[in-house]
Amino acid sequence: MAQKKVGDVILDVQNISLRFGGVKALTDISFNVKEHEIRAIIGPNGAGKSSMLNCINGVYSPQEGSITFRGQTFKHMNSRQVAEMGIARTFQNLALFKGMSVIDNIMTGRNLRIKSNILLQALRLGPAEREETAHREKVEHIIDFLEIQAYRKTPVGQLPYGLQKRVDLGRALAMEPQVLLLDEPMAGMNVEEKQDMCRFILDVNDEFGTTIVLIEHDMGVVMDISDRVVVLDYGKKIGDGPPDEVRNNEEVIRAYLGTSH
Amino acid sequence: MGFFLETLFGGLMAGMLYSLVALGFVLIFKASGVFNFAQGAMVLFAALAMARFAEWVPGWLGLENKVLANVLAFMLAAVLMFMLAWLIERLVLRHLVNQEGVTLLMATLGITYFLDGLGQTIFGSDIYQIDIGMPKDPIFILDGMFEGGVLINQEDVIAAVVAACLVAALSLFFQKTSTGRALRAVADDHQAAQSIGIPLNRIWVIVWCVAGITALVAGMIWGSKLGVQFSLTTVALRALPVIILGGLTSVPGAIIGGLIIGVGEKLSEVYLGPMVGGGIEIWFAYMLALVFLLFRPQGLFGEKIIDRV
Repeated sequence: MAQKKVGDVILDVQNISLRFGGVKALTDISFNVKEHEIRAIIGPNGAGKSSMLNCINGVYSPQEGSITFRGQTFKHMNSRQVAEMGIARTFQNLALFKGMSVIDNIMTGRNLRIKSNILLQALRLGPAEREETAHREKVEHIIDFLEIQAYRKTPVGQLPYGLQKRVDLGRALAMEPQVLLLDEPMAGMNVEEKQDMCRFILDVNDEFGTTIVLIEHDMGVVMDISDRVVVLDYGKKIGDGPPDEVRNNEEVIRAYLGTSH
Repeated sequence: MGFFLETLFGGLMAGMLYSLVALGFVLIFKASGVFNFAQGAMVLFAALAMARFAEWVPGWLGLENKVLANVLAFMLAAVLMFMLAWLIERLVLRHLVNQEGVTLLMATLGITYFLDGLGQTIFGSDIYQIDIGMPKDPIFILDGMFEGGVLINQEDVIAAVVAACLVAALSLFFQKTSTGRALRAVADDHQAAQSIGIPLNRIWVIVWCVAGITALVAGMIWGSKLGVQFSLTTVALRALPVIILGGLTSVPGAIIGGLIIGVGEKLSEVYLGPMVGGGIEIWFAYMLALVFLLFRPQGLFGEKIIDRV
C-alpha cells in the first residue's frame, strides 16, 4: 500500500470509566484516533471492546472521562446526536431493517441529509424529485462499491449473513461519516468473506478517506489491515501501538495465550 | 341478483369502516412495532371530542353556520389528538425505548383505560350525535339492469370515498417519503435507526399523530352512523380479525382485509345464516381470522417472517 496521509487527532478518548452497577466494564481508558487511519481495538472476550465502541457511539454514557471529536467534547450524547456529528457504526449482531430491501436499507442512511418538504416528497415534485435522485445516485455508488448490485431489491432478511454484513456497512457509508465504527465486521465469516470484508474496509479508508475504528476478535486480520492497535483486557488498556509492537508486547501475549504459572 | 349485489355493496361499505379502524393499528405497528391496544379508545375519544366540540363551538363563538362549526370542531379534535400523541410519547413511550414488544403492549393497555376514563370525564358519558350533514337517504342504482335496482346508502358511499382518500395519502407517505422510510426503519430496529440519526422521539410523535387522525376520521364516520357512545370502543375488536387477515404490517392489507370481512359477514349471514339458524355475522370474522392464523399467520400481505436458526 502506498504511503497514507494520516492526519491530526480526530477522536480523542480520555480516561473513560464505565460501570454497570458493581461491574467495571472499562477502567480509565485513553487513546486517540487520527484522521484517515485504521485503528483497531482488540482483546479477548469480555475485555470491554464493545462497551468502548458503545461509549463513542453514545449508546452508553461513561461515568468518568470525556470523548472529544473534532475539538468538540461530549459526555452525555445519544446515538442520534453522535450520528449528526458524523460518526457512523455497524453492529456485531446485525441490526438491519429486515423487511426492507437492500436499497431502502441503505437509503435510510441518507435520512439525515434529505432536506425537502414531506409533501413534495410524497408527490415527487420538483426539488424533492431531484434530491431523491441525487441521494439514490450516491446509494447506487455504494451498492456498486460493495458489489451487491444483484441484490438491490431483495429484502435483507433473505440474504446470507456475509452479504447482510455488507449491507450494514453500506448503510453506515451512506451517511458519509467522518469516522466509521465497525463492531466485529468479520465475526462469523468464512475465510473468503473475511478477505472480501478486509478489502472493503481498506478501500473505504482509501477511496473515501474515512477514518475507521474497528473492533476485532481475530488478531491475524487486524494486524494486517490496521495502522495502530489498542489492546484491552478486563476493561483495562494493556497495549497501544503499531501492530508489530503490540504483537510482541508481553502483556498482550499473556492475555491472549495465557501464561504458565 | 339485485339482492345479492345489494348485500355485497352493504358488506363492502361496512368493510371500509373496519378498514379505517384497522389502519390505525397497522400504522402504529408498522412504525413502532407496538400493537396499540388503545386504538379503540382513541376512536371513542376522538369521536367524543368531535361531537362535543361541534355542540360547544357555536355557543362559544356565536356561530350559526353548521358547516363551519363542524369544520372547527374537527380541527379542535385533531389538535387534541396531536396533543395526545405528544403526551403519549413524552410520558410513556420515551421511557420504554428498546423494551420488549409485550412491555409496550401493556403500556398501551394502560393508555386504553386512561383514555376511556378521561374522555368521559371531559366530554360526558351520554350518547351524542355527530351531524356532519351526510345525506342519509338511500339511492337506487342500476335501475335498468335489475328489477327495482340496487339500494345503496349514500352515507356509506361518502364514507368509502373518504376512507379511500385517506388510504391513498398514507400509502404515498409510507412508500415515497424519507419520513415514511424512517418510520419503517424504526419499526424494524430502534437501535440501528438511532445510529443512523433517525430521531426516534419525533418519529413516534408523527406516527401517533397520524394514527390519531385516522381514529378521528373513523370515529366521525362511525359516530355519525351509530351515535357516539361507549360501545364505539368495541369497534376496535371488530378490526382485530381484519388485521390478522390483511397482515399487521400492510396498509393495503388493512383495506382489503376489511373489505373481505365486511362482505364475508354480510353474505354469510344472508346466505348461510338460514341454514344454521342465523347469528353468523357476529362470529364469522373471528372464525376467518382463526383459519388464517392456521395457514397464513403473516396475513395476506404481511411481511413474511424470516428467521435464521
